[in-house]
Amino acid sequence: MAKYILKYGRDDRVKFISHLDFVRCFHRAVRRSALNFEFSQGFNPHPVMTIAQPMPVGVTSECEYMKVGFVTELDADAIVRELNRAMPPGFMFYAAHKLEAKEIDLTKISRAEYIVEIECEKPCDVSMLMAQEELIVPKKTKSGIKDSDIRPHIFVVEDMGFKDGIQTVKMIVSCGSAYNLKPQTVVEAMAKYCDGFTFTFTASHRRRMMIDDKNVL
Amino acid sequence: MITLKDKILSGVMKPTRYTGGEMNAVIKDAKSVDIRFGFCFPDVYEIAMSHLGLKVIYHTLNTRSDTWCERVFAPWDDMEKEMRQHGMKLFALESGDEVKDFDILGFTLQYELSYSNIVNMLDLAGIPVLAADRGEEHPIIYGGGLCAYNAEPIADIFDFFMLGEGEEQVHETMEVLKQWKRDGRKSKRELLERLVKIGGIYVPSFYNVDYNEDGTIKSITPNNPNAPEKVLKRVVKDFDATYAPDTIIVPFGEVVHDRVMLEVMRGCMRGCRFCQAGYIYRPLRERKPDTLLGLADRLLSCSGYDEISLASLSTSDFSGLPELTDGLLKITEEKKIGLSLPSLRIDNFSLELMEKVQKVRKTGITFAPEAGTQRMRDVINKNITEENIVESTKLLFAGGWTNVKLYFMIGLPSETDEDVKGIPALAGRVLDQYFAIPKEERAKNINVTISTSSFVPKPFTAFQWVGMNSREELIRKQRLIKENVPSKRIRYTYHDNKTSYLEGVFARGDRRLCKAIIKAVEKGCKFDAWGEFFDFDKWMEAIAECGLDPDFYTARERTYKEVCRGII
Repeated sequence: MAKYILKYGRDDRVKFISHLDFVRCFHRAVRRSALNFEFSQGFNPHPVMTIAQPMPVGVTSECEYMKVGFVTELDADAIVRELNRAMPPGFMFYAAHKLEAKEIDLTKISRAEYIVEIECEKPCDVSMLMAQEELIVPKKTKSGIKDSDIRPHIFVVEDMGFKDGIQTVKMIVSCGSAYNLKPQTVVEAMAKYCDGFTFTFTASHRRRMMIDDKNVL
Repeated sequence: MITLKDKILSGVMKPTRYTGGEMNAVIKDAKSVDIRFGFCFPDVYEIAMSHLGLKVIYHTLNTRSDTWCERVFAPWDDMEKEMRQHGMKLFALESGDEVKDFDILGFTLQYELSYSNIVNMLDLAGIPVLAADRGEEHPIIYGGGLCAYNAEPIADIFDFFMLGEGEEQVHETMEVLKQWKRDGRKSKRELLERLVKIGGIYVPSFYNVDYNEDGTIKSITPNNPNAPEKVLKRVVKDFDATYAPDTIIVPFGEVVHDRVMLEVMRGCMRGCRFCQAGYIYRPLRERKPDTLLGLADRLLSCSGYDEISLASLSTSDFSGLPELTDGLLKITEEKKIGLSLPSLRIDNFSLELMEKVQKVRKTGITFAPEAGTQRMRDVINKNITEENIVESTKLLFAGGWTNVKLYFMIGLPSETDEDVKGIPALAGRVLDQYFAIPKEERAKNINVTISTSSFVPKPFTAFQWVGMNSREELIRKQRLIKENVPSKRIRYTYHDNKTSYLEGVFARGDRRLCKAIIKAVEKGCKFDAWGEFFDFDKWMEAIAECGLDPDFYTARERTYKEVCRGII
């Protein structure tokens, strides 16, 4: 079996698809494709796949990763081409990287960069946010909603401009199985800690996923 | 870019109900087609996307370069609220365009309890509900499907109805519509005069209905020289050669029938007296196993589905079943695909087949004896004997199945208490078959379920003249069954008869009911087939406020002379 890491993303057309629906959609694309995916054994065989991070509903992305297996080694470009043909419009596959050993461990993903659009009357002075020592906001955990200090999980927040009632902010925050911070939660902290700032809606785009400060691929 | 649609979709359940963009959905350039067609299913996405008729009409229309057929479904309650709050109009899934600007909207009428949703959808689209209130700028609106055969309660809403099988008719309709547009779109009335010549087209506004003093219909007379005295249903003759889609839209979210469905035959040879579909889809026509295997292969390759099933009114009667299932098993084994079987008549062949297909899981089996005694089954022409059922269940229990569901109807014409008591007695005999097997040879946890629904007389069946049991009578019969269940191992479940009662009102209702439907929608009625929305009291209020008596439509025994199926 040959193992590959696939890099993919999705645009606005398919951003409301849940993680589970995406998995099922990918399974079907596998059956539509001419690629010899490795299947699990058992009563309901399905393609062997490990997704690095689920895509949250409503979020677009250009930097998702999953690990898959093929029965034989395949040409990387052919994999990308075939998956782009087999997946519904709105999903993009960018690269297939053959794993020689365990040089990339997707479970070690720890950070992500987002471009966040915030609908608001007046833009937020994000330096006020970064000047805080702690940022206590309610955060959903396994055991319910708890107050949590998210400041240690925010690495960069950068104002990219304000136009037509939309402020665009770039942020790098914790992402992964150890701690996952949603951009929406950061914007909620902005509303709590930055005087006079309120917002009505946010839309996020995931631009990079990193293991510490290095890109995955 | 943040759009209004994004904001709305972020706050509703299952947003992919509204986004479209599924694999194999058809996208065209709106400017390059002559006809914008909206296929409207008056229920939520998961139900609509499970409907075989939609798949057929959608894909056959989209084979035309002059027509773009898109899907239009009823938004769920949460989405509707958001749409109304933001002034968003009902839109089509493919383009997202508002349907009020389409040329034609076709509603599929599958069950009476979806009528309120039709009214609600038109209102949400910003289109006047009554045909008479619509102007030349509004789309032509028609209905087709099973309920079109007696669509009188919604006749005032529709410009026309298509009767019978639509595969040929829709194309003829598109030709006429296209020519009418080319000729300068004179008037809708003139279009309807052209359409009525196609055959199988019923234009309700071309007929006047007069009533007797007792409320029954006195006469139905054409008021337009083009209107035929009788409208005959359309039937496709060569079913094997009739268009069957070789592509299928693959939903993102789970739908009710989330698999490839093969329509193996149309019509039914059984002739059960109560079954509207059995009468309406006559005669019986089959597809050739070869045709079906080719379709199966293409549908599975283009969809990536991992499950396939067979659809028809009675798949056991399909003459090519052994050949088809042999071929399908070859495909499914090679492609690691599941073959799910519909309820088959249980005999040695089907048991062997089920063994082959299901491998491990032995889930429930449903039988439909429909009635508890042989006398009653003879009346309804259900050609199945008690011995058949007992022998079949014996085979099943010996094969390791332990979940048997027995489906019956109560309130059938001429039914006596003896017939009703025959239902639990039959379930008792089925249970005896299980206990007759030595303890060490039978599987554990036997579960026999009796399920009853209330008989609703339908037009175009042998029982179209009979009165329906009152709700009190049905409740009494349900109690009678409950009291006579012979063992704790037998469960009894039954349908609420309020929905059956309303269904009975509409099934043989007339044009006067339209006001009541609109009134009920004003009171908030919608999704009546859904327990959480159905509000029986509001319906009764609405019908009473229109000066109508629901029992007039359900309970009355009709004479053969009565005009009861219009001009169809």
